[in-house]
Amino acid sequence: MAKNKTQQYIRTLDIDKKIVANIDNGIIVLDQDLKIYHFNKWLELHTGIKECNILDKKINDIFDDINSKTLKRKIKTALRIQTPTFYTASTSKYLIPIKINQFHNSSFEYMQQDVSIIPFDEEKGLVALILTDQTIMANTNALLEANIQTINELNAELLKERDTIDKKVLVIKFDKTFRIIDVSQALLELLCYDKEELLDKNFLFHEKYHMTKDCQMRLVQSMKALKVLEFEETTLSAHGHTICFKSTLIPEYSSKGIHIGFIIFRENITDSKRLAKSQEKILASSRSAAMGEMVSMIAHQWRQPLSLINTIMATLKIKKELEKLSEKDINEAFAKIQTTTSYLSDTIDDFRDYFKPNKKSSEVNILSLFDNSIFFLKEVMHQNNIEYKIDVTQNISIDTYKNELLQSIINIIRNSIDAFIFSDVEILNKQISVNIQKLESHISIIITDNAGGIQKDVLQRVFEPYFSTKSKNGTGLGLHMCHTIITGHLKGNIIMTSNENLTTTLIELPYTILKGIK
Amino acid sequence: MQTLDLTEDEKDVLQELMNVAYGNATAVVAEMLNAFASLSIPNIKVIQTDELLATFSELKSESYFFSTQAFNGEFKGESAFFINQTSANNLAKHLELDSSEDLDDAILELTNVLTSTLTTKLSQEMDTEVSFSLPSLSKIPLQEIGKTPAFEYYSQVIVIDTDLNFKDQQIHGKIFILTKDESIQWLKTKLNSILELLI
Repeated sequence: MAKNKTQQYIRTLDIDKKIVANIDNGIIVLDQDLKIYHFNKWLELHTGIKECNILDKKINDIFDDINSKTLKRKIKTALRIQTPTFYTASTSKYLIPIKINQFHNSSFEYMQQDVSIIPFDEEKGLVALILTDQTIMANTNALLEANIQTINELNAELLKERDTIDKKVLVIKFDKTFRIIDVSQALLELLCYDKEELLDKNFLFHEKYHMTKDCQMRLVQSMKALKVLEFEETTLSAHGHTICFKSTLIPEYSSKGIHIGFIIFRENITDSKRLAKSQEKILASSRSAAMGEMVSMIAHQWRQPLSLINTIMATLKIKKELEKLSEKDINEAFAKIQTTTSYLSDTIDDFRDYFKPNKKSSEVNILSLFDNSIFFLKEVMHQNNIEYKIDVTQNISIDTYKNELLQSIINIIRNSIDAFIFSDVEILNKQISVNIQKLESHISIIITDNAGGIQKDVLQRVFEPYFSTKSKNGTGLGLHMCHTIITGHLKGNIIMTSNENLTTTLIELPYTILKGIK
Repeated sequence: MQTLDLTEDEKDVLQELMNVAYGNATAVVAEMLNAFASLSIPNIKVIQTDELLATFSELKSESYFFSTQAFNGEFKGESAFFINQTSANNLAKHLELDSSEDLDDAILELTNVLTSTLTTKLSQEMDTEVSFSLPSLSKIPLQEIGKTPAFEYYSQVIVIDTDLNFKDQQIHGKIFILTKDESIQWLKTKLNSILELLI
């Protein structure tokens, strides 16, 4: 009964008509010539055009934008195949121009429409056009497309960056279990490995043969503590070449902050290590060269006392032959010989002492340091008529490596002396003068000679290793060693300038080695 | 998973039905475009999705337009239509289109006509009805089709593919009618009942 009643009630209603009138779609009924048979309320409201005013008129006369050729084709096709044909918003935008009044739909001026053309009355050749508002969807699509564009651009940039990193940066990545998950191309090339040879290997196991125990321990500790660690390591390439790295271990986290593994950035320091080694070699050979020079200086020092001993001995011998040798003579001679030999012994001690590199810095009195230097050189200066002057206003002491500084000073003065000796022209008033001054942050030592000056092109190269103007007589290491010692070990500066016949060497040294020159 | 394959008999029946449908489609397309069109004899096979994607990727020699349209009912699935740039340009020339948007629209129309005529006729023969969704032109680059989620819903598909040729206009296209597992099952049942009637 109930069912019948419902059916009866439904029949009294004109459901189709009411629903169609209120449906949220535009509905137009057209014939094949585009003449309008129906224009629903929705369209009336959206276009502001009344159905009664446009019935029997052609739709392309009402809306100029409509391409009548395309529309006619679609209508004809729909009628022919008896299934709908379509316009889609994504390609056709809209059929009926309806201005949008919503602010947030900023991408479009007109409502974007999907249109289905449904065969309606085959006999009369009528079709129904059903318009669906797709603006929101189209808007979302437009937004999406714009974002995809941005993402693609960013992605391309990222890939490029990644490519650069892969090609240029030495990186190895491994997970929490130390399984190698990525190795940059640059590192693979350096180590002469294929990626497959390293991937999935245990990093610690792979590296353990090349790493010191201490380094391994520090690495494992930092990994456990998830700390950044900077360390130096030496490893072997697949071809057995030793490669030195300055490396940084960094724990890696996921975007959610969960620890997922580690990255090691490496810097290839093999070349600089090699350079440092050759630097050491140069320094060592410069030391032995300096020693050689020193031996010749010692020989100078010894010549006079040795001849003194000789004379004493000869005198003793003559006196003995003449039987005039008294007890007193013998005692006096022995005493003289003893003084002289102990002087010789002292010279050796000094020599040995000064050429041992200092391990610790100490308080050094600059004036006495110069005295010590001159002790080794005064004989040769005297022989060559070179006057030596030192000008110190105050008693100056600094904290530095004494013997290194002494060697450097001797070298520089020795260089000046050589300049006089090897000079092609006669120089009058040969002079080496030293001026020492106490400045606020450092002391300055100026050593000047008037041995004729140095040419500009030579001056630029004086601190280079194996550079010498003395051909056979020089090793070319003296001034290079001075430069290395003063700038490297003693944290100071050394500059050599030349003006007419004067050569000036300026040495600046910090008061304490720890602080250096501010 | 159960592998659904068509028996020789089932294939024969489907082939017959398709031939009728294709004849109809050809006539409509020719009428719509006002040009002499031909469709090659449909090639029917049941294949795995992987194979389908491989087939698609074989098509990516040059830039292609790729459109799809879903159809629904007891017999449901999706059609995929491929037309290359040269053919699309020839189509535009033939239809005297002004803009690339008009061309997109024309390709969608062609897709719709082919899908509708083929499946409607086929459904009529099998005594069922289908409705059609709006066709859409895919902006996805062909090499990424494999990543498109829509294709993941298929495990195996019946592929009915044919070449559309307009000889004079140099327009060639390839359409695939794809149906999913449940439709294959339905199709088998339907084909068998037709077979019984024939015997």
